[in-house]
Amino acid sequence: MRILIAEDDSLSRTLLERTLQRAGYEVISAEDGARALQELNKEDPPRLALLDWVMPGLDGAQLCRELRARKNKPYTYLILLSSKESKQDIVQGLESGADDYLTKPFDAEELKARLRAGQRILDLEDRLVEACESMRFQATHDLLTSLWNRGVIVELLLREVHRSRRERSCTAVMMCDIDHFKSVNDSLGHAAGDDVLREVSRRLRTSVRSYDMVGRYGGEEFLVVLNKCDPSSAVHRAENLRQTVCSRPVRLASAQLTITISLGLALSCDFAKCDVEELLHHADMALYAAKAAGRNCVRIAQPDSSDRDLPDLLPGKESPLLTP
Amino acid sequence: MDRWFRKETPDKATETELEQLAARADPQPCVEPATPDWDLKELLERLDGDEEFLRELLVIFRADYRDCLHKAHRAMAESNLPDLSRAAHTLKGMLRNLSMKSAAQTAAALEKTAHAAAEKESAELLLILEGDLAKVLPEVEAQLAGVKA
Repeated sequence: MRILIAEDDSLSRTLLERTLQRAGYEVISAEDGARALQELNKEDPPRLALLDWVMPGLDGAQLCRELRARKNKPYTYLILLSSKESKQDIVQGLESGADDYLTKPFDAEELKARLRAGQRILDLEDRLVEACESMRFQATHDLLTSLWNRGVIVELLLREVHRSRRERSCTAVMMCDIDHFKSVNDSLGHAAGDDVLREVSRRLRTSVRSYDMVGRYGGEEFLVVLNKCDPSSAVHRAENLRQTVCSRPVRLASAQLTITISLGLALSCDFAKCDVEELLHHADMALYAAKAAGRNCVRIAQPDSSDRDLPDLLPGKESPLLTP
Repeated sequence: MDRWFRKETPDKATETELEQLAARADPQPCVEPATPDWDLKELLERLDGDEEFLRELLVIFRADYRDCLHKAHRAMAESNLPDLSRAAHTLKGMLRNLSMKSAAQTAAALEKTAHAAAEKESAELLLILEGDLAKVLPEVEAQLAGVKA
């Protein structure tokens, strides 16, 4: 494990370095508080730090306060090491944010024991962070497909539509539905149905830009949100998604299936007066139209004059009807 | 924190004596340490008997203490007691690390008097500290020569 030592006295520093190296630590040394802070602010910094209190410039207690004021950084276990030894000093040191306090000169065995205690705290912290991350993932993602769940994808859509209206750009909303999915479940079982959902999800996710968003909207329905989408290319992008899904069969344990999807597309710039729910409704209606047209195709929602309040942002827009 | 520890506690009698000195308006510039000047045995135990490492530390000490003492004298000459206190603090840590107990106690007392802005007492303690160091330095040199041999 890596450990940072901040100590201006070279004798104490050498003693600490040697003791910790012998105990198996990878030691990073800093001669003052400012350099220690620099080290601890780097990417992937040491998680354990042994700080002298009295140092030129930024002292150990100030350094503790600086480190504790940081946000979104992994926890650093801080031990203040000082020849200040009054109860008042110890209290002041711990109040500054140190986790432990040692007086000089240190006893090697006790120092190592305290560092092991620090490592236990850091292990607990790692497990806590991992548990929080897992809970956050579960709260925001669909567990079968690992796509955004419905609540989050709608929230993201709302944010993107607001942004595109502020920036006078366009967000494309695609409602996608797997064709004849019920028959997959009925004929091959739900496990095969789950495999199909996972594979279609994967194909959708890998077919959009890293900053576009894909979520599972319902059973076999997916919502794709393309931000800053050029309206003239939105239909082609929807068509690309459709083709990607059906381009090669999905391999299942017992069979290979060609899966197709139908897509309903709505552009936020076409429905400038609509809220997100209405925009979703228009995309859904377009999806119904695609289903009615025989499935495995894209349909675009057409605004009437009351939906628009911006100048036409779609010069040369493609035909609203695209069939494979 | 579960608990805290200190590596060594200054001898109470010596500590009291030094504190009395620090408290006296007209102190007697004489302190008889009740602790050994240098507890080499304890130091070697702490270093797991590594004499080569001991030598390395003594070489650092020999180079650094002069600078520290120089800073203390300069601070004294300028009546800059905060700087004097800091220099004494550094010396205290250095000396404690090397188990030079008498000198460490004097450095601790000097840190305290300088912190309390007691200039006269600080001047006397600085002289005492020099005396403590003068006692231990020949031993350091002898040790360095012995280990080298």
